[in-house]
Amino acid sequence: MRVLAGGVLLEDGAVTVRGLRVVVGGRAGDVAAPGAPMSAGLLAELYEKHAAAVYGRCRYLLRDDAEAMDALQDVFVKVLQALPEFRAAASASTWILRIATHHCLNLLRARKALWREQLRTAQAERRHETEAPDRRELVRVLLSAAPEEAQEVAVLYFVDELTQAEIAQEMGRSLPTVRKRLREFLSCAREALGIELEGADL
Amino acid sequence: MNLDLGGPGAGCSAMRVRRLLAGELSGVEKERTEAHVEGCERCAAVRQEIAAEREALRRDVPFPQFAAAVAEKLARRPQHRFATRWAPLAAAAGVALIAGTLLVRRPVETETVRAKGAASARLFIQDGKEVRELSAGDAVPEGARLLLSLRPAGRKRAAAVLVEAGETSVIYQGRAVNGTLPQAFEWTGKGVATLLVVLSDSAVDAKSIRSVADAPRGADVLTVTLRR
Repeated sequence: MRVLAGGVLLEDGAVTVRGLRVVVGGRAGDVAAPGAPMSAGLLAELYEKHAAAVYGRCRYLLRDDAEAMDALQDVFVKVLQALPEFRAAASASTWILRIATHHCLNLLRARKALWREQLRTAQAERRHETEAPDRRELVRVLLSAAPEEAQEVAVLYFVDELTQAEIAQEMGRSLPTVRKRLREFLSCAREALGIELEGADL
Repeated sequence: MNLDLGGPGAGCSAMRVRRLLAGELSGVEKERTEAHVEGCERCAAVRQEIAAEREALRRDVPFPQFAAAVAEKLARRPQHRFATRWAPLAAAAGVALIAGTLLVRRPVETETVRAKGAASARLFIQDGKEVRELSAGDAVPEGARLLLSLRPAGRKRAAAVLVEAGETSVIYQGRAVNGTLPQAFEWTGKGVATLLVVLSDSAVDAKSIRSVADAPRGADVLTVTLRR
């Protein structure tokens, strides 16, 4: 441990200097590999096949490249920890994008105030615009007005463009439940924007 | 005014196009989708979007950076048996793109740890076929490649400078990326050098930093001592 001139040594091993906080020393996470070496090829394969779509989804929902990169890594950590489930999925693309969507929606919910602010901006813009907005961006901000499960159903329907039957199968829900969630989303969206919405034959 | 939010169309589905391109469709479904996509403008737009996603990934998150970052996150969950098996492999892929190479990984005590309970940085070292995190007191071998991984914890800007006797080299200056910096570097000096990593909410002029005191007020500064 090196204590800097004029610094103050803190109990946790950090040093403060002129209001700066300096940390020297500490313990890294235990990442010992007790098992036999494995090929790194699977990670490369997952990256090649799915990372672009996951990153695209994270960028779309989070609207922040740095956060999207972080979320991309988190999603793949989850995938690596659930490989049997991943491999058993009927569609790897659908499965992994659902994980990404769920992860990003959780992040957005954690900063709901900002998300709501974006919705208010969209509301204000709708009052002045005469041209139709980017529909996917509109879906994104409208998600903040909807209940949790309706948010995921809305992404599967309006962004991934799964049919209601496909969503029901993917989520393990009944068709009427999926339809109900979509109605909830559209109802919240209508209320938020104060206008009629098309796009769902419900 | 009515707004159209979209949704699946007659034969159109963004996910089906994804699955087609990912080789997940077969038989009649594959043939039907291929035939549809051929003349569908909407599906062509989806294909363009997928191509753009790939470009963005290559540009923003090249595989070495991605793999090292995933390795680091896995390493933070040591209680998970799977993580302990994967972390070194991903780290290796991250630094050197070595698939199938025999890798050695040791539990270590590093000099790079958390500040403010969140901001942190880690330094990976590749020496020949071995890839590991730099341990406290470790000598850096000649020719070894070093890769710095950041955990900015909300800080927006970052700089990394290598301070040696009479010389300071800028390793990185720019956005506080969450994960591994895109470029590895090599330390060619001898004796002792200090790697200063500055994470700040405001812009950091890396060229002006020669010691901790040069960092912007309120910044998090992390130091790593290199020895040879």
